[in-house]
Amino acid sequence: MTTAVLASPAGPRPFSLQRQYALLGMLLIAPTILVFCTVIVYPLITAIYLSLFSIYTPTLQGHWVGLQNFREMFGSAEFWTALRTNVIWTLGTLSLQVVFGVGTALLLNQNIWFRSLARSLILFPYFVSTVVAVLIWRWMLNDVYGIFNHALLQAGVVDMPVDWLGRMPNAMTSIILIGAWKYFPFVVIAVLARLQTIPPQLYEAATIDGAGVWGRFWDVTLPQLREVLVVIVLLRTIWDFKEFDLIYLLTGGGPVTSTQTLPLLVYKQAFGMNSMGTASTYAIGMLLVLLTFMVLYLSRVGRGSEPT
Amino acid sequence: MTRRSGAKSIVATIVTWSVVLATVFPLLWMVITSIKPQQELFTIPPMFWPRSVTLEHYRELLENTPFLKYFGHSLVIASSTTALVLVLGVLGAYSLVRFSYPGRERLALLVLFTYLLPSVVLVLPLYLLMVKVGVANTLLSLVIAYTTFSLPYALWLLRAFMAGTPEDLEWAALVDGASRLGAFFDVVLPQILPGIISTAVFTFIVGWNEYFYALVLVNSDSARPLTTGVMNMLITSFNIEWSLLMAASVMMSLPLIVIFVFLQSHLTRGFAASGVKG
Repeated sequence: MTTAVLASPAGPRPFSLQRQYALLGMLLIAPTILVFCTVIVYPLITAIYLSLFSIYTPTLQGHWVGLQNFREMFGSAEFWTALRTNVIWTLGTLSLQVVFGVGTALLLNQNIWFRSLARSLILFPYFVSTVVAVLIWRWMLNDVYGIFNHALLQAGVVDMPVDWLGRMPNAMTSIILIGAWKYFPFVVIAVLARLQTIPPQLYEAATIDGAGVWGRFWDVTLPQLREVLVVIVLLRTIWDFKEFDLIYLLTGGGPVTSTQTLPLLVYKQAFGMNSMGTASTYAIGMLLVLLTFMVLYLSRVGRGSEPT
Repeated sequence: MTRRSGAKSIVATIVTWSVVLATVFPLLWMVITSIKPQQELFTIPPMFWPRSVTLEHYRELLENTPFLKYFGHSLVIASSTTALVLVLGVLGAYSLVRFSYPGRERLALLVLFTYLLPSVVLVLPLYLLMVKVGVANTLLSLVIAYTTFSLPYALWLLRAFMAGTPEDLEWAALVDGASRLGAFFDVVLPQILPGIISTAVFTFIVGWNEYFYALVLVNSDSARPLTTGVMNMLITSFNIEWSLLMAASVMMSLPLIVIFVFLQSHLTRGFAASGVKG
């Protein structure tokens, strides 16, 4: 496409100019490719390579063990437990993000007072540092002085302060809810952008056909949102699945290993158990699980990625 | 009719604003806690509004903790990453959109792929690489590490912006005798300036907020950024001073607040052009 445009405006251009342009194009991307290879491609290959070694982290000394690490990983209960925990966390927080996100987007799409202020305030949890978010929540969920327990006591919902992060199933519920709070604004913005492009005629037609609020939502809004929701779900699945900061800082994987997802397990293997090879194996295992979603996302977004 | 739609919009306003306020309440609570005197923090039942306002926690934070040092580190790391990524990203995106050469499409797909790559996979090899090259525990090591996720993102974002600008002006300049690079600086750059600002804002925030690489790659106060630095203050303190930590959280969110006040439209625009729309 670009080539065609390249030659047209100034009439026929000599072939050499086109080649010159191709060279210039490659020259411009060269630094990027160099950086890519050094900090992404090379480490990625190394990660696979490392997974075949047994390495002691403090000395970084190691020896070749081949596929031994992988055999141990598939045979280890800890890996499967972490994978299961990871799936529970991802499913839980993602579904809440989507429900809250779509709901809030619908609210913010209405004609309300100070709409643009409301729209920018809702973004705050998403952009605030995870460290900040975790500190705030750990303070609010503090068992004795936290405002959350106090409000619940006051309202008579509980009669003893609740330990929100130190026991199960509270810890899992808490991280899922806090994750939903932190990341649902992403869904809000994406859905809101799509909502604004739905032609009003569709709603008018549905109203004439006698559809109520619910009818219009199910028959007009939801089908129109389907495409964007698929992309959102794929992206957020990948991002929630690999979430480290939020869970590590809220529970550290605890109590014991109840909220230990795969990224936390990788970190523990590498720097707690000092076995970097095993950690790499777990990381690769996690990547394999994620690969399905990455390919799905790439085939969806990458296909339409050709600039128009 | 007007009356009814008026009532409807009041109800909508109340419901929506309740949701918005409930969402930002934790952030409000952070600010309130940070300006409460210490003794008001531990009353049972807790008081909502502070009886008296104090800035002692901020003073304590700036005078008696390494907070400012961490702040400086974060500033250096986030701005260097942003500058590096912008230079590479603008040139790269220009090349990906306006030039044609073998492998271009596959390269674009690779960019998107790396954008999704978990840092957990890259962190161990990067750690080994930093040790080998001898830059472990430096600010530079974090700039390098942050490039792994900000460069793909910036490329993708800038590519979308670049594709959205018309080529006509660039061709007019070429016809008038400008060189390709001359046209790039005089025509293309000004056209995608909003895209550059959006990308800069995003890259800066993500670099400012990053925790995981900082946790693994930096193990000394001489290069520790705010995220791990402040968490360290929580872990190493004998009894947790929540008001101090909330003051730190507020200070840590300052760049974000500045961006929200002055560059909000760029934030939303960046969102629209990012991976969701493809």
